[in-house]
Amino acid sequence: MSGIAVFLCRCFGEINRVIDLDSLQKKLEQDHSVVFFDVVESICLADDIKEAASRIRKSGAEKIVIGGCSHLARGTVVIDGLVREGMKRSAIRLVDLREACAWIHADDPANAVQKAWDLIRMEIAALYHRRESDNVTISVCPEVMIVGAGPAGLSAARTLGRLGFKVHLLERGSNPGGMLNLISHVYPSDEKAQEKIKLYVHEVEKNPLIHFYPKAKIKSITGFTGDFKVQVSSAAGEEMFRVGAVILASGARVWLPHGLYRYGKLKNVITQMEVERQFLKGPLTITSAVFIQCVGARNNERPYCATMCCPSSLKNAVRIRDENPDARVFILHRDIMTPGSTLEAYYRNALAKGVQFIRFEETNSPEMLGDERVEGVDVYDVINGIKIKLDTDLVVLSTPLVPNDDNVKLAGMLGLQLDRYGFFSEIYPLHPLETRVDGVFICGSARWPVSSDHAMMQGEGAAVKAAALLGRETVSALSLSRIPGEKFGHASVNAETCTGCGNCVAVCPFDACRLQKMGRKSISRVNKFRCKACGNCVSVCPNGTVQLPEHDYRAVGAMIKRAFGEESAL
Amino acid sequence: MKSESSAPVLIIGGGVAGIGAALDLAGCGHAVHLIERGHILGGQVAKLDKLYPTDHCAFCPLWTDIKKVREHPLIAVHTFTEVKELKRIDDRLHAVMVRKPPVIDENLCVFCGKCAAECPEGAIQTTGDHVYPPSYRIDQDVCNRCGMCTKTCPTAAIDFQRSEETSELLIDDVIWASGFTEVDLTPLPEFGLGTNPDIMTAMEFEEWTAEAGINRGAIIKKSNQSVPRNIAFIQCAGARDQRMLPYCSAVCCMHAVKQAQWVQRRNPAIQCVVFYTDLRTVGRDYYEYSLRDVGGSRVRLIRGRPSLIYPIPQKNGIAIKFENTMTQKREIWKFDMVVLNGNIGSSLKKTDQEKHFSPALSGDGFVMPGSDDISRFACGFSMEPSDVAESVIQASSAAVKAILAKRIK
Amino acid sequence: MKMLIFACKWCGLIGADSAGKKRIQLPADFRVIPVECAALVEPDAVIRAFASGIAGVAVLGCHLGGCRFNHANHAAVKRLELLKTLLDATGIGGNRLLISFGTAHEDHQYAEVVKTFFEELRSLPSADLWM
Repeated sequence: MSGIAVFLCRCFGEINRVIDLDSLQKKLEQDHSVVFFDVVESICLADDIKEAASRIRKSGAEKIVIGGCSHLARGTVVIDGLVREGMKRSAIRLVDLREACAWIHADDPANAVQKAWDLIRMEIAALYHRRESDNVTISVCPEVMIVGAGPAGLSAARTLGRLGFKVHLLERGSNPGGMLNLISHVYPSDEKAQEKIKLYVHEVEKNPLIHFYPKAKIKSITGFTGDFKVQVSSAAGEEMFRVGAVILASGARVWLPHGLYRYGKLKNVITQMEVERQFLKGPLTITSAVFIQCVGARNNERPYCATMCCPSSLKNAVRIRDENPDARVFILHRDIMTPGSTLEAYYRNALAKGVQFIRFEETNSPEMLGDERVEGVDVYDVINGIKIKLDTDLVVLSTPLVPNDDNVKLAGMLGLQLDRYGFFSEIYPLHPLETRVDGVFICGSARWPVSSDHAMMQGEGAAVKAAALLGRETVSALSLSRIPGEKFGHASVNAETCTGCGNCVAVCPFDACRLQKMGRKSISRVNKFRCKACGNCVSVCPNGTVQLPEHDYRAVGAMIKRAFGEESAL
Repeated sequence: MKSESSAPVLIIGGGVAGIGAALDLAGCGHAVHLIERGHILGGQVAKLDKLYPTDHCAFCPLWTDIKKVREHPLIAVHTFTEVKELKRIDDRLHAVMVRKPPVIDENLCVFCGKCAAECPEGAIQTTGDHVYPPSYRIDQDVCNRCGMCTKTCPTAAIDFQRSEETSELLIDDVIWASGFTEVDLTPLPEFGLGTNPDIMTAMEFEEWTAEAGINRGAIIKKSNQSVPRNIAFIQCAGARDQRMLPYCSAVCCMHAVKQAQWVQRRNPAIQCVVFYTDLRTVGRDYYEYSLRDVGGSRVRLIRGRPSLIYPIPQKNGIAIKFENTMTQKREIWKFDMVVLNGNIGSSLKKTDQEKHFSPALSGDGFVMPGSDDISRFACGFSMEPSDVAESVIQASSAAVKAILAKRIK
Repeated sequence: MKMLIFACKWCGLIGADSAGKKRIQLPADFRVIPVECAALVEPDAVIRAFASGIAGVAVLGCHLGGCRFNHANHAAVKRLELLKTLLDATGIGGNRLLISFGTAHEDHQYAEVVKTFFEELRSLPSADLWM
């Protein structure tokens, strides 16, 4: 069996002041599993590491235990240094004798040295039993699939195309542009929606690296990070292609307020999108309009703010005022959601342009007046404390974006999670464009309702993250880690003992375990690219079939036995 | 096609945005110099106790990315560093940076603590609980230059003779990620900042009540360490105000809600009141977060911006004069603590006479990307008041724009 | 009074590390086994620990919103709570298993958790009774 080298660091007296390292050295002499040991003044400085590495090499030891400070102090410096000297990372283990022993038991040296000895022996036993996870390395297919050619998808496609990657840009409709094809102008720039995406559409059409699939339906997606196989049927026919990364930019849909504010029953009670449609045809030039915010949003069914409704109303209200300076335009709201510098200025501009604002409460919403067509709105102005009747012949309802119905299907194909509302889940808090599957990114309103300029920024963001993966020639399962550096390992199933109970499948937070029929049995298979080594599967397996090799149950068992000085063979 | 330029990109600011941009650039194989004025990475987010809307501890996810940044071979981290000059020379930018190195070199410090133990003035402290890499720091105001620490340090990490280091770089582009700082509220004395120790800014309150802070998460008054009966959170203090900051600082509504909820968690007996104008809960899961506990019996929302906040003479307590705009009633309520939210702005707004350059700033002090040579890319609060998620997204976008700009050269 | 602590390397161990850096003195009768995630702590291992004569087992993990393995700790907490009730049912005693998720990530919190658990264990009948 491979020998273990043990280094005990004095840390310039900080450790050996409390822990009698010489007595430990004597004990190490008796341990047959230790082929080399040394007590050093320090082990984390550059020269120390070189020296240690050369002595390890001379001794022929294959595994190393370093008894020194915490991995959060200089411990990782030692490991990284030894790895640079050619040692294997998985063969080096740290035992914290400083923060976890000497410094907290300075008052009790007798027990501290016993604890130090126990900790070292625990790690020696553990190292003996720790095995290595198989790594799998695959070639990364340097192509990307972008689902959705709205602003987010177009932006991602343009970016990745420019970066030199082949792009498969799928669009459910016949043309690119998404929601921007349905609206007149965008905020806050107030430019024409078509102008905004014209350049992007043009570049996407011109760039030979970008393949556009209109009327696309995804039939299936299999595979994993770096190598997804996609079957698509589109106006161009049936196709199968492989991609290294997937960007979901499939947007969201507008919720129609049936049942609220007599929508569908009263004429001229319309949605924001319908106003946009009218603006696309030409100016409205009306004498009055009342916008109502939070229709079907920030309520029990959809307890979220859809981000876009307030600025959209400001945009359209100002437009109406610009077209007809005598028009009486009201925005009835529960808060005006214009955070930031640009949007707040947008709000101030609307005020300056004579748009009027009335605040109402969720429990006392405005009422529509009129029989066949709307004639006015009754609203309780909560700030002035009075009920007001507004005469109007147009009411615009701001409704939220809600997730597309086929999010569920897409999530199923890729093994993604949806949040409680049905939007694709992200990784909180610092990776908002990433999902629990490496290589699958989300942007635009598929992730969370956003304006077109934010959607485009997110498209670029998703693109750069996809580019990091696509630019690699190969990707290994161990590199897809949630911790600094490589994964701890990944789960492995013993096919012979697996009973196919499915506990692991149910508990895995990354959907990495699947049952597969093998002959008459069903056994669990772990997708090494999805597994992040959290260990849930190991803990729920009824017979120890699933193990994390680096944390093999024999290692844990040995550690527990040795924790308090029990003499036991390895 | 021109070959891709291989000069590095300079990122000014080592907060969440800068870190995000650095990792994205390095992930695509581009060299980065990350410049940070302070002594640690993480910026304002590293100072936070918890994050909304997940109630994550702020340091843990940040620490992971900071470690990645420090260990990445393509990212050079420069702390204690400021950019002094940015000039265009042909198709590159020439940057001059000045580093004021700390007396204790964090790369040599093994955190043994001998220096702190030896110091007769107690001038040496650790750099903080969740800092990577951990090291010690000498408070120059207390230090008497006796040199005991230098003698005791076993790795020769201490050197009082370290002088400013000036270095020059030829870079392809600069990404501004300089974040926000607090803005002085003196022009608006009605908020009472400075008149009583229990009237403090949001960041002060965060530090005062942090689990890792000096009170270990306990909510107590600064004036006399007693437990407050109630706390007022004042939104838009200085912000959305034509006299001072006309913009909305974006993050404060959620920040106040988070702080109020955490006060509730730690001590349900303390009543919290949030005085707001519009409760801006636009981001993912924010509105639902704000519904938790808020509007219930203990965290109240009152719509109204106080007209006067003042310590009650001869009595413990602070009076807040306000109009509850939903009831039209004018009232004066007594609070034990007041937290002011809103007075934050781009840290670039402060004019710096020493700088031989300045990025193009809007009237509100935010970088206007694309305006000129040195202002092409920006992200985070330096560009627009943004929360963590938005800052990180903007950082990725800025990073890829910088990469694409290189290809055009 | 032997105590075994399984601590995840993130919230779990950071508190221990901070306590160490501040040199908060603690009784020496406990050993820490670090794990990548508290989800890796098998009920099996906990029972083995009791069978080895360990009086108390603590599992330290990240608080429920903060697991970097996509809420893996949610399943872990449920599992350990269930284990606690089983330990009660079998007479070992559920209060010998301390489940601390997100309550020990600062130095003073960790010290508090360890010291309080020791006190709790001391108040329980001897573990030898059921060995």
